[in-house]
Amino acid sequence: MFKIPSINIGKISLLVAILTWLALLFVDISRIFAVLSQIDSGISIEISWILEISFFIMVYIFYNDSIQKSENNNFLDMIWRGATTGILATAVSLLIMFFYYLLGESRLATDPLLFNFFYHVNFAFITLFLISSTLLWRHLILYQKNKKVVQQWQAFEIALLISMFFIFFNKNTLDYSFLFGLFFLLIFGTSLSANLKWIPYLTFKEKWKSILFLGIILLCTSFLFFQLLSYSESADILVNLTDNLFLLSLFGFVFIYSLFSFLVTFFNLPTSSVFEQKLLEVINFQRLSQSIKPGENESQVLDILVDSCMSAAYVDAAWLELKQDHKSHFIHQRFVKNKERRELYEMINMAKPFLEFNWQDQGNERKVFYGKIPHPKFKSAMVIPLVVNKETMGRIFLAKEVKDGFNKEMINIISTFVGQACISVENSRLLNEAIKNERYKEELKIAQQVQRSLLPSQLNHDETFEIFGFSEAADEVGGDYYDTHQIDGHRFAVIIGDVSGKGTSAAFNMSQMKGIFHSLVQIDPSPGEFLIKANTALSKCLEKNHFITTTYYILDTKNKNIYFSRAGHCPTLFFDASTDSCEFLRVGGMGLGIVRNKLYENYVHENEIHYEKDDLLVMYTDGILEAKDGNGQEFGYDRLKALVKANHTQSAKIINEKIIQGVFEFIGDNAILDDDYSVMVIRFNQ
Amino acid sequence: MLRIEKTIVQKSVILQLIGEVDASNSVELDDAIQTLVQEDAKSILVDGTGLEYISSAGLGVFMSYLEEFEEKQIVLVIFGLSDKVQQVFHILGLDQLINIKETKEEALEVVYAK
Repeated sequence: MFKIPSINIGKISLLVAILTWLALLFVDISRIFAVLSQIDSGISIEISWILEISFFIMVYIFYNDSIQKSENNNFLDMIWRGATTGILATAVSLLIMFFYYLLGESRLATDPLLFNFFYHVNFAFITLFLISSTLLWRHLILYQKNKKVVQQWQAFEIALLISMFFIFFNKNTLDYSFLFGLFFLLIFGTSLSANLKWIPYLTFKEKWKSILFLGIILLCTSFLFFQLLSYSESADILVNLTDNLFLLSLFGFVFIYSLFSFLVTFFNLPTSSVFEQKLLEVINFQRLSQSIKPGENESQVLDILVDSCMSAAYVDAAWLELKQDHKSHFIHQRFVKNKERRELYEMINMAKPFLEFNWQDQGNERKVFYGKIPHPKFKSAMVIPLVVNKETMGRIFLAKEVKDGFNKEMINIISTFVGQACISVENSRLLNEAIKNERYKEELKIAQQVQRSLLPSQLNHDETFEIFGFSEAADEVGGDYYDTHQIDGHRFAVIIGDVSGKGTSAAFNMSQMKGIFHSLVQIDPSPGEFLIKANTALSKCLEKNHFITTTYYILDTKNKNIYFSRAGHCPTLFFDASTDSCEFLRVGGMGLGIVRNKLYENYVHENEIHYEKDDLLVMYTDGILEAKDGNGQEFGYDRLKALVKANHTQSAKIINEKIIQGVFEFIGDNAILDDDYSVMVIRFNQ
Repeated sequence: MLRIEKTIVQKSVILQLIGEVDASNSVELDDAIQTLVQEDAKSILVDGTGLEYISSAGLGVFMSYLEEFEEKQIVLVIFGLSDKVQQVFHILGLDQLINIKETKEEALEVVYAK
């Protein structure tokens, strides 16, 4: 396989153009030489014409390529490029004139060969200038093009191409057909010259520059044109290359478009500031509407807001007042000193239309206050409330040194700016909040994991009994607690507890309870002692309106006794296998943290029951009893009792599952548990 | 949902609780009692005839004032509780600390006895 090397059209066309020009020069010079030597050169005039046309086409290809390569040039650069080529062509022409001036009356000055050489040089540079300018104008004309303009331009190019060959038809005489063609092309060019959409996009300064460059181009074009005319009268030129329909049409087109551009730009000068202003407003609006990135400051948006408002209404002083915790802060103060600002602030707040403003007003969003102020320097003012999330968070103050300084357009654009800025601030706040919530959720997930690990996965027991516990929190974290500890070979401490309230605060207190249990269980207290000590400890760390209910059990598997004390917790359910009956152990007691002094001891009761094989001890929290069905009915003691009785032959694990299942069946599919619930079942197997 | 209505019967303030007291509205109950304490009420009667449910957070409100009531010698009497709600007070042991009566008359008697 072989690869065609990528062809550099620019370089090749330049080379071919130069070669064509050299050939043309050679042909014409040799023809003159032949005439001078009075021999017939035998070179027909058509050869010159063909070379000339090839030269035009090569130059066209070269410039077309070169301009396309520098596509991102701005308008000013393009015009400047045209102007420099014009200056170059003019300079060359002037140099030739200067050279002839130096030669004076010498023989060389009248030498037709030299004269012809310079004529060809001039011809080459003029062609370069005209074709390059035409192609530059094409870019300007086709700026913001539509299909119609593109078609027109293509037709114009084709007409120009035809005009190159016109020379074969009229043999270079100035007849009517020539004038008609010229006239037609000039009209065509003129109609294209109406496409001047690029001009309004120039800034004021750029307009001045382009006027200067266009002026240069106009001067160069005129000079070169008259220069060419002087050649056509010369008798020393055998083949006139420049009295060509193509070249003359280009002259006309370049001149007309330059003139139009020059005049339109000139008359656009006074209104350019308006256009610039509008463009700035659009840009400002876009900057305001780009929402603030998370973590970025709102202040930045407000900064842009103040700047935008100031430039939109030619404001002489401006600042922002922000209300935070009923206090006003003043930020982004522009062109006004603190003292003056305080004065103005007082004055504006006292003046007529501004008096009506009320921070609490719900309809502040659409309000605009503007009017006169009795200040020696500033004569008119405008105040717009900034409303974010239906709350008036601040006001923007604008003051001008002229009376009635705010017209309808300014008010419209400024209120739009303010509205957009408020939306941006609101969006950013919402976004920040969402991020924060996401973080909280993440934290809560961690808390949940930590708390889950607080409930034991393994409960201590021996071969004489089985034990199974289950707990579920209504929220991410809960306040239910159960645990066990083996005190010695045949004694086990068992605890179940419920922290008042639910959610995070309950979860914290629950972890305290776990700490207390594992500390106190080391000193092997009796159930009563345990409650008293736990109450003392919790009195110092529980909030005033929080309490913990618990029941503490000591199982003695040797003597088959249960010693327990109840601290406000739901009564334990005991199943007696011998009588096949269920009973709630209703014994006295008081929740932990309710009485936070010595008197608590008076409310503590120690109890003892004996158990036998197949008896059950069911411990639970009030979430089970208070679970509600669709009608608001509570699960209650009786249903719990019935469930245990019905399943008493099962293992501790199955009984536990049956209870949970029973509760869920009771509340139905749609209800949600609004409290934590736990169940722990002990089954005595010996 | 909780509605608290305040009436004055023979110089005693009666707070009537209608609905349910749970974690979400226990603050309202707290505010109501707080106001009475600030107004130097000497006796507070709580009418629980319309009270359908009280959660641990609601009980916590009563509990948190017990010490202050004792200090300022304010008499708190709760009356008219349904069996279910009274059971909640009883299980926690609060009935040993708060005077709970069946009827308004009994409750007022406690206040006058003071």
